Amino acid sequence: MILTSGERARRRILGAAGRLLLFAVTSVAALAVLAIIFFIARDAWPFFRDKGVAEFFFSKAWYPSHQPPQFGAAAIFAGSFLVTGAAVLLAVPPGVLAALCMSDVLPFNVRQVLKPVIEMLAAIPSVVYGFFALTVVAPFLQDAGSWLPGTFEIASGVNALTASVILGVMALPTIVSVSEDALQAAGRELREGSYALGATRAETLVKVVLPASISGIFSAVLLGVMRALGETMVVWMASGNAAQIPKPWYNLLQPVRTLTATIAGDMGEADQMTGSAHYHVLFAMGLCLLLFSFACNLAGEWIVSRQRKRLRGG
Amino acid sequence: MSETVNQSRNAHVEAQAFSVFYGKHEAVRKVDLAVPAGLVTAIIGPSGCGKSTFLRAINRMNDLIPGCRAEGRLTLDGQDVYGGDVDTAVLRRRIGMVFQKPNPFPKSIYDNVAYGPRLHNSLSKTALDDLVEESLRGAALWDEVKDRLGKNALGLSGGQAQRLCLARALAVKPEMLLMDEPTSALDPKATARIEDLIVQLKGRYTIAIVTHNMQQAARVSDMTAFFYEGDLVEFDATKDLFTRPREKRTEDYITGRFG
Amino acid sequence: MRLSARKVWDRAFTASALFAVALMTVFLLLVIVPIFGKGLGAYVFMGTVEHRRMMLNQFNRGDEAAVEAEWASAQESRKPIYAALAAFERELPALPAARRKELRPAYKAVREGLAVLLGPAPGEPLPALTRMIYGQTRWDRAQAKVADVLFEETWDYSEGSGKKVLVPRQPLFEGTALAPVFPLLEKELRSLLRPRLTFYARFLTDNSLDAHYFGGIGPEVAGTVYLALGAMLIAVPLGIIAAVYFQEYAKGGPVMTFLRSCVNTLAGVPSVVFGLFGLAFFINTLHVSPSKSVLAGALTLALLVLPTVIRSSEEAIAAVPRAYKEGALALGAGQWRTILTVILPAALPGILTGIVISMGRAAGETAPIIFTAVVSVGKLVRPAELLSQPTPALSWNLYNLCTEHEAVDEIRHVQYGMAATLVLIVLVLNLAAILIRARVAKRLKG
Repeated sequence: MILTSGERARRRILGAAGRLLLFAVTSVAALAVLAIIFFIARDAWPFFRDKGVAEFFFSKAWYPSHQPPQFGAAAIFAGSFLVTGAAVLLAVPPGVLAALCMSDVLPFNVRQVLKPVIEMLAAIPSVVYGFFALTVVAPFLQDAGSWLPGTFEIASGVNALTASVILGVMALPTIVSVSEDALQAAGRELREGSYALGATRAETLVKVVLPASISGIFSAVLLGVMRALGETMVVWMASGNAAQIPKPWYNLLQPVRTLTATIAGDMGEADQMTGSAHYHVLFAMGLCLLLFSFACNLAGEWIVSRQRKRLRGG
Repeated sequence: MSETVNQSRNAHVEAQAFSVFYGKHEAVRKVDLAVPAGLVTAIIGPSGCGKSTFLRAINRMNDLIPGCRAEGRLTLDGQDVYGGDVDTAVLRRRIGMVFQKPNPFPKSIYDNVAYGPRLHNSLSKTALDDLVEESLRGAALWDEVKDRLGKNALGLSGGQAQRLCLARALAVKPEMLLMDEPTSALDPKATARIEDLIVQLKGRYTIAIVTHNMQQAARVSDMTAFFYEGDLVEFDATKDLFTRPREKRTEDYITGRFG
Repeated sequence: MRLSARKVWDRAFTASALFAVALMTVFLLLVIVPIFGKGLGAYVFMGTVEHRRMMLNQFNRGDEAAVEAEWASAQESRKPIYAALAAFERELPALPAARRKELRPAYKAVREGLAVLLGPAPGEPLPALTRMIYGQTRWDRAQAKVADVLFEETWDYSEGSGKKVLVPRQPLFEGTALAPVFPLLEKELRSLLRPRLTFYARFLTDNSLDAHYFGGIGPEVAGTVYLALGAMLIAVPLGIIAAVYFQEYAKGGPVMTFLRSCVNTLAGVPSVVFGLFGLAFFINTLHVSPSKSVLAGALTLALLVLPTVIRSSEEAIAAVPRAYKEGALALGAGQWRTILTVILPAALPGILTGIVISMGRAAGETAPIIFTAVVSVGKLVRPAELLSQPTPALSWNLYNLCTEHEAVDEIRHVQYGMAATLVLIVLVLNLAAILIRARVAKRLKG
């Protein structure tokens, strides 16, 4: 099948054009993230340009509707970190334990049934979790306040604890499935080496398998952190939305406000707001969230590359 | 038909009508075999003949495989390994194992060797240091790693890693060593070093080594067992089995007609 | 450590691991079961004669003759109540002033409570708000509302902190014409309201009336479907093409690594930031629509699910055995033709799984569409309006109904109905994906 030079040229041009088209489409998909950075930063910049950074990051006075408006978001940042930290602390131990159970304790059949359970837990929309928090958890917590002895008074069922617990439940599936993959990847030979030396299962898992999978588990935790930090509806509905730092800072029974809830709550009337300082400060918050998720991504990739180096023998 | 051979030494491990099943499939079929103490016994045979399965049955590593069960009697020093009161953790301490693919833990060299002793004993730091050195010397690895005991074991070459695994096994002071094709993943030089070690360790330990390399079996072992499709076909002194095999199947295998 | 201690640790470890797994399963059940249980109550419930009346008048549904007959009969049962009310009105001025002062506020409360329970009294002008034209349409709400008439809510401060106490009203009206109303309400409520098992399947498709007091969630369901489908319509071609490019054409190198990084980074962007981007870019810069619209929302959601579509398509394409590809190429098929006729069909189930899961995600997301696509109150969006009009959606309106609505407790059943419907849609999609995956695995195993 010999082609004429004309046909050959045409084929080559068509091929190149096709490849270019595919490349263009792929680039659009990939460059969306750059567009996101650009447009968020573009609408965040006016706020930093006009109001600077000091008040935003260090002042706790958040009164955007006052005259003159005050944009101290320190308490809101604190709220985001408090709720995220608590959620991760609540979710990681049971998550890693569940992953260990699935990889090494449960028989294959049970594991196959559990995987869909975890996927369904992950698939439940966040607004439904928020609804659950409002209708079940918050009233329960409020009633609990009346019969629980102790120094903690529960003024309202919507507080940092409610939000953290639900966020933890939402982060669990991610932590479990990514950790389980990491534990499986450690390999059968590693486990056999430990068992052959007379170790019990708990010893093998804790002293050999877990350390061998630690970077994968760290990635799982990081993904859980990103999920919790970026979550909007649950915190908007269940955290109480009070822009304050609890006294003392670890008292989760007080309401807090997160960055995501502030953006969602205050931008609701976006049509009327475009261009005002309030509009721009919300973009500033969005920019901070974006940058933090990038940092987590980078940390995750660094961990993966370090693990790869280690396995090659560094 | 399997044969029992009269031993001048005591049988360290004795199998009587011993079978291993994977589900319905009988991978080891009613084997009668007495592994003599203090000698090196090679187990040879074509792929899938049950030799690894039999070896792993001795320290009950097959328990880790779901659906795997054993029938018959397998004793260590007269005590039934599959008895109801046997604790696998204790059993596996008395029997060390080296695997086909070296599997050092992602820890330091020191911690690899010290892993077993730390589980079972509480030793002082100096006692542990001595034990680690003794085990590494026993595996002919000490001189190469003595200055980098704290380094990650994953950085060792294949041959070194396998010797590390041997040192790790020696550190718990077993009575018996099981080796499952220990050199098949190594280059010839590393293989030779392991074979030298085996010869050195003989006498102090009972060694059972599964190998598909007949020359290796001939080089290192005192006794050889030939397995074929789950049956123990012949068990004899190595010299005799390789020069005057009694069974036709044995002769066909060692002359390369199959396997 | 002694062997016995090690064994104890081993057992304790196993127990705690099993406990963690059990905890997870319990959470799932804890969240889903009440939502489905109470959500069912939006579709199947005991409906009163008021409900059937409302259905007939507002939705033109039901047997007119039967409803009219039932209504007449119910009114008959109610006559004693209204007669008592009229009698009380007549005798009130004749009572001593102190007694009048005592009774007036209570009487007002009773009258208002009866209006809420049974609807406007006969002869009264019809109220303007639809919700007040009818009494309680649901038997469970009626039973709650009857308590408002029968009891007065007061606070008891005798023990320090206030406790809510319900004080029966009847003793207050002892001796007046109103007295028999209370036992009548207690005992005869059924004949006053005629509750009957009602199957309101059209809850899924009906418009809502008067801020969801009556009617269904049709516009919200349609909005969710439009948004999810729209998002997939945009994301699927983009995603598959990108996946094909990454797997079949890309040759490594810095550009490819960079593009891959971009996709991974896109996956980590918080959902509310997508919403901000949609507002800043699609609406304020590109002006795809005058303000919020289904189009803008679908574009935003498409970006959200794009990384998932790309990832799962890439996995599916990578899983196609090289032998297929090499076989086709050896037969003289060009690269493009091989992709279209051999690789993509073989990868289709895996790609489909990713699509279905992403669709579930798009249906459930709220934050990206708050600023780009949704309204709290709205009619069903017509296809012609998709490019320019905003829409209600299950996710947003669920939030709206349970937080910002003025009568949150009155329409709990609607909230649960929305939540259950949304969860059902998402779970069905996920189940479909799991089944597809299982069938593929079975096929591969032969």
